[in-house]
Amino acid sequence: MKYSMLLVAFLSASTLMAETVVVDTDKMKVAETKVILEYPKQTEKLDALARQLTSLENKLGEVTQAAQENKEPLLEKDKQMIISVLGQGVAPMNTSSPAQAYALAKRAAVADAYRLIAEKVKGVRVDGQDLIQNMMVKKSTIRTSVNAMVRNANVVETTFKEGLCEVEMEIVLAYSQFAQ
Amino acid sequence: MRSRNGNSFSLFAICSVICLSSLALHAGEYLVSYRYVVKDMILFNDSLQISHAMKKCDGKPDKFIELVDNESEDLTQIIKNNSFEFTNFIHTLGLDVKHNETTINAHNSSTTILTLKTTCFKVDFNDSLAKITALK
Repeated sequence: MKYSMLLVAFLSASTLMAETVVVDTDKMKVAETKVILEYPKQTEKLDALARQLTSLENKLGEVTQAAQENKEPLLEKDKQMIISVLGQGVAPMNTSSPAQAYALAKRAAVADAYRLIAEKVKGVRVDGQDLIQNMMVKKSTIRTSVNAMVRNANVVETTFKEGLCEVEMEIVLAYSQFAQ
Repeated sequence: MRSRNGNSFSLFAICSVICLSSLALHAGEYLVSYRYVVKDMILFNDSLQISHAMKKCDGKPDKFIELVDNESEDLTQIIKNNSFEFTNFIHTLGLDVKHNETTINAHNSSTTILTLKTTCFKVDFNDSLAKITALK
């Protein structure tokens, strides 16, 4: 009798365990269905991202095409680029002879040409400041500065007319000069 | 007793030593710096500083120029006589460019400074010609 009672208790306990397992599997199934339901939403997002990417690619293509149409010079590998500038200089008023005026004006023009080369190759730093008082511009200040080292620049042509000296200078740039 | 051929060889050796030493005596090293300022498109100031090098310069020979020295062995004098050629030569060596421009209420003023940083030059005086070589 005792054994039969124990057997009944064991059987009832095992059935209870079996029910809980069944419940657990049901939960798992529910979780799986949830995942399946969420998946279409993610694909939509991915599709939207892909569409954005293609539109950006198209825009990039348009920009590069525009740059090619404008023919913006780019220093390519194994190629050289010639930069040409026109510097201007003025002779001072108190010169003893026209030759001295020419020499001084040429020196000033060469300095201007060097500055232009430096501006083109290295760039210009620009600072601006506006003071506005009572809705009016009181003071407007623009400061530009260039710092560079220029070598191998050549004078191509010099003209001197009515106290103004113009010097055409050029510099040959190679890709290897900038490669680090 | 020595042969005639042996004597001539020793004589040639002595002469070559004297010649080489005399050539070496006519060579020197100088430090040169150059700076000029252009203000509002007009040359404002320029200065060329030359001095004997107090100690031996390091560096390899770079570009050179040959100037007529008219029997003078003073580099300052030679450069004074050929200032145009020498300044053109300096330009080929490379110059530092510093430019500042200010525009206040549409009134513009600018200053450009070109500088050759102190550079060592080897100068060889030979046959009324001075060969000036920049050391890099």
